[in-house]
Amino acid sequence: VSAYGEYIGIAVTFVLAGGIALAMVILGSTLGKKNPTAVKLAPFECGKDPLSVPMGRLAIKFYLTAILFILFDVELVFLYPWAVVYRELGLTGLVEMGVFLGVLMAGFVYAWDNGALDWK
Amino acid sequence: VSRADLALLVPELILSGMALVLLLAARRIQRTPLAMGGTVLAALGAALAAATAESGTGVGGMITVDGYSRFFLVLVAAALALAAFLSARHPEGERGLRVEYHVLFLLTATGMMLAVSSLDLLTLYLGLELMTLCSTVLVGFTVERPAANEAALKYFLIASFASALLLFGISLTYGLTGATELAAIASALKSAEGNPLPLVALGLVLAGLAFKIAAVPFHAWAPDAYQGASAPVAAFLAAGSKAAGLAALGRVCLIAFPSEAGALGRILVVLAGLSIVVGSLLALSQTDMKRLLAYSSIAHVGYALLGLAAGTPGGAAATMTYAFFYVFMTLGAFGVVIALGAQGESLDGYRGLAAQRPGLAALMLLFLLSLTGIPPTAGFAAKFVVIVSAVRADHLLLAVLAVLCSVVSAFVYLRVVVFMYMREPTAPVPARVSMTVSTALALAALVTLFGGIVPGSLVPWAVSP
Repeated sequence: VSAYGEYIGIAVTFVLAGGIALAMVILGSTLGKKNPTAVKLAPFECGKDPLSVPMGRLAIKFYLTAILFILFDVELVFLYPWAVVYRELGLTGLVEMGVFLGVLMAGFVYAWDNGALDWK
Repeated sequence: VSRADLALLVPELILSGMALVLLLAARRIQRTPLAMGGTVLAALGAALAAATAESGTGVGGMITVDGYSRFFLVLVAAALALAAFLSARHPEGERGLRVEYHVLFLLTATGMMLAVSSLDLLTLYLGLELMTLCSTVLVGFTVERPAANEAALKYFLIASFASALLLFGISLTYGLTGATELAAIASALKSAEGNPLPLVALGLVLAGLAFKIAAVPFHAWAPDAYQGASAPVAAFLAAGSKAAGLAALGRVCLIAFPSEAGALGRILVVLAGLSIVVGSLLALSQTDMKRLLAYSSIAHVGYALLGLAAGTPGGAAATMTYAFFYVFMTLGAFGVVIALGAQGESLDGYRGLAAQRPGLAALMLLFLLSLTGIPPTAGFAAKFVVIVSAVRADHLLLAVLAVLCSVVSAFVYLRVVVFMYMREPTAPVPARVSMTVSTALALAALVTLFGGIVPGSLVPWAVSP
């Protein structure tokens, strides 16, 4: 038990939170007044008409832009830690990062070549 | 990464480098032969680099060059070159994404090579995953064909499932041993005798790898994927990905799990027996050539597993020999299918082929005899060594089963021969076969014949890990 002692607080929180939430639901459904109307029973969706086509058509170019964004995002994720230890890595680190960026940029150039950046 | 580490990865670097160059030049290359030439050149370079590479281990003990990896690297490079040659008549070849097609071939082969030279479960997984992802795109490459889309989707879903199993097995192994390196796993498992969990981990890893090589009962995706894919892609999948999967399986079985050798042997015996029986029997009723060859490839994986099931270095060497010759005879048979175009995809297309194109019919006869395992072809030599290794390992029942199913498969393959030689032609065949397809057919035929006439030719190179 001693090894897990520090987790007891978390367990108590879970039990308390779950207990209170459960109690509220049970109390509300047993003690509360019920007065159902057609409007009340309809699925609630922030005042919108719940019966409509779930999603309109979305142009595919948004996905393309999102993927291009991820390209730069991943690049940054690796650039930050590299920048922090730049001095320790020295020239080797610079060359390795150059190769990494080169490969990523090749993908970008390919996308550019194929008109991924033309917004039409 | 030191220079010694990079030296171990030269074949992979050549292939991926060529893929990058082709990708950058994709919209500037107007002619297909240029992309194909680049692919073949890279494959030759990689084969040369692999054959002359010095033995060693590096990249944190994850990548190795030894006799085993050298053998399979050359085999993968050969499969890549032949598949690229066979792509001359690819339906997408004359328009659209012709360069991207070859780039995906190159990257698939890079993944295979990575898996083949891995000494660590993680790099092994990475390589297999690169291979699977790129080949999924290749399977669905002819976007306008609904069958290709369906095949790609099926292949993707089942391959993801298999990857999940493999990863689960790897994570269980890591939890048990604290290691992902094959040798470290083996030494950690030696001290964990009597624990049933390593068996579960082994089972999951084996199931994941069995999906990749399409061994029964993990085979259901193969016929649909091969049928939906265009013929050169199906050929490359049937040849290359099976060779790479077998190589990975062999290394994992022999290095990481020697402590579970008994259970491992029993699982492999069941996989091999089921694959041989189910593959041979289901091939009987096929009328689509790509489906027929898919079931044939399932049966052949069963034969190849006969060697690994023995669990000895000699058995692994037998599997290597089998994989080598299997790659060439399968690529050859697919090559004839490709040479005949749309007509070659159905069994009826072969009616009276011998009267119209005697040369092509003779080549098909050679590949089919080899797939059946009739001397003097490489198929006989390959089948002989795996069955001998099964007998040596006291799997007598399995050996008898293998021979019996060989007879069944003779009916499958010789049915095509009967169509070619004893039926009247119904439709005119395509007038000419492109230069590169003929080259690939000639090379495959040469290896198939040579391997049959000089059966021991591979012995010096087929060394187990």
